[in-house]
Formats: sequence, structure tokens, C-alpha cells
Amino acid sequence: MNQRHHVIILGAGIAGVCCAREFVDRGFKVSLIESGPAAGVQGATAAGMGHIVVNDGDPEVLRLCLRGRELWRERLNEEETDQSYWRSGTLWMAEDDSQMEALKGALGRLQSAGVESELIEGERLFKVEPALARDLVGGLRIPHDGVVYAPKVTANLWNELEQVESYFHTAVVEIGDGWVQLANGSRLAGDAVIVATGISLLDHFTGAAGEWARQFPILPREGHLAITARGTRILGHHVVEAGYQKGAHQVSEEAVACAILPRPTDQLCLGSCRRPGRGGPVDAQLLQRIIDRCERFVPGVSSLPILRTWTGSRAATSDGKPLIGPMPGLKRTWLLGGFEGLGITQAPAAAELLCQRVLGEACILDPGAWDPARMRSAVVGRLHG
Amino acid sequence: MGDRVRIQVDGATIMVESGMTLAAAMMMSGLAAMRRSPGGDPRGVLCAMGSCHECRATVDGVRGVKTCMIEVKEGQKIERDQPLGLASLEAKIDRSIRTVEFDLAVIGAGPAGLAAACAAAELGRSVVIIDESIRPGGRIWSYRHEPPLAARSWLERARQAGVQRLQGYTVYRGQPGELEVAGVTDGNRVRVICHKIIVATGARERFLPFPGWTLPGVVGAGALQSLIKGGLDVRDRTLLVAGSGPLLLAVARLANESGARVTLAEQASFADRSGLAIPLLLSPSRWRPALNLWNALADVEKSSSSWVKEARGDGRVEEVVLRTPAGDRVMAVDGLAVGYGLIPESRVAAGLGCDLDESGAVRVDAHQQSSIPGILCAGELTGVAGNEAAIDEGLIAGIVAAGRNPQSRLLARVRRHRFWGQALESAHPLRDEVLQLATEDVIACRCEDVATGDLSGVTSFREARLIHRLGMGPCQGRVCESSPICQRLTGSDTIRPPWMVVPSGLSTRVSQVRDSE
Ligand SMILES: Cc1cc2nc3c(=O)[nH]c(=O)nc-3n(C[C@H](O)[C@H](O)[C@H](O)COP(=O)(O)OP(=O)(O)OC[C@H]3O[C@@H](n4cnc5c(N)ncnc54)[C@H](O)[C@@H]3O)c2cc1C
Ligand SMILES: Cc1cc2nc3c(=O)[nH]c(=O)nc-3n(C[C@H](O)[C@H](O)[C@H](O)COP(=O)(O)OP(=O)(O)OC[C@H]3O[C@@H](n4cnc5c(N)ncnc54)[C@H](O)[C@@H]3O)c2cc1C
Ligand code: FES
Repeated sequence: MNQRHHVIILGAGIAGVCCAREFVDRGFKVSLIESGPAAGVQGATAAGMGHIVVNDGDPEVLRLCLRGRELWRERLNEEETDQSYWRSGTLWMAEDDSQMEALKGALGRLQSAGVESELIEGERLFKVEPALARDLVGGLRIPHDGVVYAPKVTANLWNELEQVESYFHTAVVEIGDGWVQLANGSRLAGDAVIVATGISLLDHFTGAAGEWARQFPILPREGHLAITARGTRILGHHVVEAGYQKGAHQVSEEAVACAILPRPTDQLCLGSCRRPGRGGPVDAQLLQRIIDRCERFVPGVSSLPILRTWTGSRAATSDGKPLIGPMPGLKRTWLLGGFEGLGITQAPAAAELLCQRVLGEACILDPGAWDPARMRSAVVGRLHG
Repeated sequence: MGDRVRIQVDGATIMVESGMTLAAAMMMSGLAAMRRSPGGDPRGVLCAMGSCHECRATVDGVRGVKTCMIEVKEGQKIERDQPLGLASLEAKIDRSIRTVEFDLAVIGAGPAGLAAACAAAELGRSVVIIDESIRPGGRIWSYRHEPPLAARSWLERARQAGVQRLQGYTVYRGQPGELEVAGVTDGNRVRVICHKIIVATGARERFLPFPGWTLPGVVGAGALQSLIKGGLDVRDRTLLVAGSGPLLLAVARLANESGARVTLAEQASFADRSGLAIPLLLSPSRWRPALNLWNALADVEKSSSSWVKEARGDGRVEEVVLRTPAGDRVMAVDGLAVGYGLIPESRVAAGLGCDLDESGAVRVDAHQQSSIPGILCAGELTGVAGNEAAIDEGLIAGIVAAGRNPQSRLLARVRRHRFWGQALESAHPLRDEVLQLATEDVIACRCEDVATGDLSGVTSFREARLIHRLGMGPCQGRVCESSPICQRLTGSDTIRPPWMVVPSGLSTRVSQVRDSE
């Protein structure tokens, strides 16, 4: 492909917009198609917490997160505003010795990947975060993790893009090899079609691609969040319970965990939970359990005034890893999604990688780990024990 | 009456008259600025009825208390706008929740809610009224010492019929069959289990932004009325009452009778309002009140086709630029009260799932039934038509909720009231000049300091909220949604709990107490 070629990106969430930026930077003609009214205001990007976190669950995932974090830190300045990267750091909290052991394991993995991190034990935990419950045994601190306010950052990124043809209020109804059919009846064709439609990632394929999509569907996993009024600066870090990662890997059951994100506005975002669902109305009982869980780690937090509550849905794949690469069986249509709860962190890195693959450039990260075609072998692998 | 109590504001002791609302007491003591906005500007009372949250402060350790909704109390400690550290986590909030059960829960103790509760209770239903204000009576019958005559008979009827009241409680979440409410002062919780619900949450004022409207001392028109009823002494103060609609007349009258020097400015033209002559002629019951009002305002300076272009002052309003047919006039004032009519307060109903019409009023049938079975609505949230309409709609809703059929005479009366409401509305069309006062740098969203110019090019509510933070503060959009810049946005916010921000989060623990009445 060369600069005269046309790239069509579906979905103006954080992934689609990051991807548009990659192609625009290289001088391509880009069209962005979004069913919502603007960039970053619909889908998971509008609902996410915005924690930029290096997750150590798997070495590949760790690398993708790390590259994402690096790019955010490069692209945004580090100030305490909604437009920037606020380097608040993550503090994983351990309730007991076995969790502390698990955090030690994580520390080893992070450090061998070159991620600055430290274990905090005993009383020092309460020097670092005086608001925490006194019976916690320790924590793992990752100082360069941070916060971005995803809708605003996505909107700003979009604003900076020159020469992108954006079609808002425009829904895609069918996707083929290098073409898309729009709800308004028109059909667009391009040299590359990049699908970044969040939980709808695989909804619009037909034929053989459609069959593949039905075999490895996106599993929507709903989360609930609440935000407090301004004026409560009681936490410096994003505090997360160590058990959170465990919950994050169960696809089908309901899991509630304490994750409290301080925002530069002096508000606290309280979460979170996972259960199958596309982001319906707020479930009062579930919200209650989340707030109670937060109260267990930060006593008193449940009595702060809550301004708003909302739900959102994460797009999970059956192996829990994103799909970044060609749609199996198609030559000109590519997937960029399936980020589950890490898409804000990973979006810039995933977009970079996809763009490098589409253009046949050298890839900074190993593309094989994310290739959608792996799904077939994953199932085969499982069948063979 | 006349007793004094000591309260402490930011550590300084001040003496105030007992029975006053805290907001009125603070304003009387020269503390019109109650908080600072995110951008650092001083802010004070705007609505004085609990919807804008501009008057909030930390009271006795509880954050985010609306000072216009509580009464002063000996020894009360008020902290204004402290960024709260760890200490805020230690507030003694009782998060246990008590459960009560009734046949019918009525939300709002204004004319509509009181009438509804009486009608249903007199037909043998067990009824609870939940109301956020300090005392029952809603907007028109609010009082400090003695309820007005009209309210007294309803309150007496309610007492005799065994209507229970949760006064000073906000409904903030629920579903058909169950409501959760929180105390305004302490955030204490009650869960109300009920077979039916009548929502009678009334109306709030429409505010239109103009240069200087965020200065402390610029309040709503109805807000001035509430403040005076809440104890604010306006003797010998120079006040401008401006905006639009019949409420201005009632407010100007009260301020005048309370000893203020009042000027009244209505943006509608005399010609517009003369359209009321025929509906008024057809409605003899309104002749005497109209005449009384006219006489009471005899010595008040009045002008039509006049509106406030700008308020100026250093830290509080000091002068106002009034546009009159004779040109701009700069007036020195002690206070400015400006409101542009009323809009239905339909959030609770919407949260319960009821359909709204384009104006934001709840859609009801002739029996006041909403689109959700078991949920009825009465009063101004179904369309602004005055307190007689509210009473009659309340009676119908109460009778229907009790499983009876309302008399056709009553139904016909409501139709007439609605006609009068529409006549009032069309006699006060908003002029373009007023809608254009919100220039680029005028704040549209007071909670989050979003300027009108920040929203240029924005087309949807989602974008305005998520990207520019419009309506993301504690008023939840109640103030900014009526501003002209928002009128052109597409879409709307989904109503999610909390329907109203309450001082103490959302957490509730079910305690063992389960006392049903
Ligand atoms: C509760 C919650 C908390 C989270 N917290 C974090 C966190 O702290 N850190 C983190 O890194 N990640 C977090 N995430 C995950 C993160 O939000 C997502 O992974 C990320 O936003 C995904 O971005 P996206 O662009 O792939 O998808 P989306 O943001 O969903 O964007 C997809 C876009 O495609 C559009 N679209 C869909 N279908 C069509 C169609 N047919 N036609 C046209 N347009 C269409 C949608 O309108 C939408 O705008 C969280 C997610 C949730 C739900
Ligand atoms: C500020 C103001 C001043 C007014 N002054 C006059 C006047 O002087 N003369 C006149 O004729 N008309 C006046 N009106 C018009 C007035 O609204 C009607 O005349 C009449 O009072 C409407 O009755 P209602 O029962 O529908 O509602 P209201 O009287 O408004 O009563 C509604 C009640 O519901 C309560 N409420 C609302 N939300 C909640 C919640 N979430 N939880 C618990 N309680 C809640 C409120 O606290 C209020 O007490 C005024 C209106 C306003 C807004
Ligand atoms: S002034 Fe108290 S809430 Fe508006």
C-alpha cells in the first residue's frame, strides 16, 4: 500500500481513533465511521475508568500494556488535568499473606520486564496511603502507571487529526473484504477496512468470515462504576485489590472487586465488577456490593456523596486476549478489538502494531500473539489436551 | 419566634434567628458566597429549593448538605468549601436502613401531594408522604412559623386521615413497589415498600444564563420568595425582580410587603400578556386574586419588554444593566432575583420509568396515570398550571390510587386549569434577545464551570457531558439543561440512580429493624 490508498476505520472509540492517527501520520487517506454522535462518547471508551496499568498476567499482555503506557506518556503531558496523563501510580492491595505472595510473583515478572515497581509491607503501606484499612498486609506499587480520561483524550486525538473524513451517526450493517455496507444504504470500499467496533467487533461479518465470527464470539462483560463529588483528595494511587486480576479472568461468572481511581478533579471513581452483559441499566444490588467492597479497603469511602453511576461493557475474547490482525479468510479487512478491561491502556500500542502489519512494516511487538487466526489453534490446542 | 441561636461558620461564631434556613441566615450575615466553583469563583444560593446544589457546604461533618434545605440549629458547624481530606471519611453516618411499608407512597408534600395523600387516606389506604423540604406545603405554601390558611386545612385533613410523613427526606432511587430515601441533614436511610406511588415533585425554575449570573446575590425569582419565607430580612434593600412569568408578580409582592424597594421587570411585552385578558374573563375565580395582586403592586415600579443584560459586582452583585424600551439602565442593587418561568421536575418519575413529553412533563392520562402501571403523577411535573390544578390533579390521583373513580366534575376542572396554564405560558413567550445573552464566556454549567463557548460545535448531550463535563456536577443538569445552548443538543441523559445527589453516598446496609406501619 502507498499513500494514495484509502483506509476505512469502523468505530471512533479509543482504538479506532488511535488507529486513524497512525494512518494519518503516515499520510494515508482515512475515513472514520461511527454510529454515535462523536468520537469517544459511545461504547466502552465512554464508560471505562481510564486506569493506565501494566498488567503482568501474561508476558505478551505485559508488553502490550507497557508499550501502550509508553506511548500515552510520550503523547500526553503529565499534568493533573482531564487532557493529560496523570501519573498517579497503581497500588495493588493484599488482604493476607497468600495475596502478598502473589504480589511478590508479580513483582518478579514486572521487574524482569524492566517495569519499575516495589513491594510495600507493613506500616509503610499506611504512610503511602493513609486511607487504607489497617488490617491490610501490604501492597505492590507501580509508580509510572496513571490515569487518562478516555472520552476527552479520544476527542482531543480526533480533533488533532487533519484530513480524516468522519461520518458520525452512521452505522455499519455489513462488512466484507475491503468493503462495508452502511445503514444509510451506501457502500464504501477501501484498500483496508479496520474494524474497531468494540463489543460489536464481529457482529457484521457474513459468509465464511461470519462463520468464523460465530465460532469465536466476543463476550460482552458488563461493569458498574460510580463517581463521587469533587473535593475528596484522600488517595494518591489507583488502589486495586490484589484479587482483582483473578476476577478479571473469569469470563462467565459475576465478580466484584475494589478498584478506586482518584481523578485529577478530586473525584473518586469507584468500581468494579464483571458479569456477562452489554451494559444495561444500573443494578442497585450489584452497585451496593461494589461500594461495600470498596468500603472494606478504604473505610468511610461508601459515605461520600455519589454524583453519577453507570455501566459499560468490555469486549472479551474466549482466550482473554485482543484481536489485532487480519480477519481470518479476508485480505483487506482487519480486526482491532477484544481488549476486555485494558483497552484504554493498550489502544495506542495495538493501533501502532496493526498499522505496522497492514503496511508490512517491521513490528515493534510480536504480531503473532495477537493474530486472530490463533483462535483456531487455541481450540485445537485445547482439544488435544 | 425571635429566639437566637449560635452557629459557627468556618470557625467564626455568628448569631442568627432561630427557624431560619441556613442559607438565609448565612446571606443575612454577609456570607452570600458559600463555595468556590472548580475555577475558583465564589458561588451562592441560586434556586433556594434544593435543585441547583450551589449552596452546599459541610454541615456538622456531613458533606454536600444543601444549606437552603435545612434550618439553623444551636451549635451547628458549617465549613465552606474545604477540600476534604481523610477526616471526611470519618463522618458519623448511620448507613443502616429502616424499612417501612404502606399501600401508597406520595413523593412531594406540595398542594398536589397533600391532596393526593388525603384523598387516598380518606378512602382507607395507608399513606406516607415523602418530602425533601423542611416543612410540608411545597413551593406555594412554604412557611417558617405558621402554615398559611390554605395549607392548614390540608395538613389537618392529612393528620386526621392518618397520613404519615417523612419530612426532610429525599427520594433518590427506587423502582415500582419500592423507594429509597435519605435524610437531607444526615443522609439517614429509609426503604419504603409500597403498592402504588404518586409522584408530585412539582416544578423548578427555569434559569437562562447571562453575563454575571453566577455572582452571589443573583438568585432565582422563586428563590427570593423562598429566602424571604426562610427568614431573609429584605427591609430597605433595593431589589430587582426580573425574568418572566406570573411568579414574578407574587415574588415582587412578597418582597414589597417585606419592606424592600422593589423594581419589577418582565421580558414579555404588554401586548403578549394582554392575550390573558380573555382567559381571565372566562375564569371568575381568578378575578379577586388578580385584583388583589394588582393593588398590592401599586407602588412597585413595573416595566414590560425589559430584561437583565448583565449583573456586575466584586464578589457579589452590586449593579445590574437593565434593558428597557427606553434604553439601557444601570441600577445599583442589593440583590437580583431573576427567573424565566417554571419547568416540570420530572426526574424521579423518569427514573421510575415514566414517559415524558417533549417539554419534559410526565405524560399522564385523565386519571393521572403514567405509562408505568401503579405510578401516578400529579401537579406541576405533568405540566405547569398553578396550584389549583395541582390540588385537583392530586385529588384525582389519590382517588384513582385508592381504586375509585373520580367524579367527572373534578376531571372537567382539571381540563380548565390546563387551559389556563397554557394561556399563561403563551402570554410569556421568551424573546430572542434573552436567549442570546449567553455569550461565549458566560458559564453554562455552574457545577463544572463549562462556558457557553466551550460547547460551540457540540451537537449531542453525550458529547457535551462526556467531553466538556456539562451537567456532570451535583445538580445533574437541572440548571443547565434549560439554557439555550443545551436546547439545540440532540439526545438526552439517561436517568440513573441517584436521581438526586444525597449527602452520604449510596451505600445502605439492611439492618434487622423492620417496622411496618
Ligand atoms: C467498566 C469498565 C471499566 C474499564 N476500565 C478500564 C481501565 O481502567 N483501563 C483500561 O485500560 N481499560 C478499561 N476498560 C476497557 C476499555 O474501556 C476498553 O477496552 C476500550 O475503551 C475499548 O475501546 P474500543 O475503541 O475498542 O471500543 P469502544 O470504545 O467500544 O468503541 C467502539 C466504537 O464503535 C462504534 N460502533 C459499534 N458498532 C458500530 C457499527 N455497527 N457501526 C458504526 N460504529 C459502531 C461504537 O459506537 C463505539 O464508539 C474498561 C471498560 C469498562 C466497561
Ligand atoms: C420556587 C417556586 C415558587 C413558587 N411560588 C408560587 C407562588 O408564590 N404562587 C403560586 O401560585 N405558585 C407558585 N409556584 C408554582 C407552584 O409550583 C404551584 O403553584 C404549586 O405549588 C405546585 O404544586 P405541586 O404540588 O405540583 O408542587 P410543589 O409545590 O413544587 O411541591 C413539590 C414538593 O416535592 C418535593 N420534592 C421534589 N423532589 C423530591 C424528591 N426527590 N424527594 C422528596 N421530595 C421531593 C419538594 O421539596 C416540594 O416540597 C412556585 C413554584 C416554584 C418552583
Ligand atoms: S440554592 Fe440550595 S440547592 Fe439551589
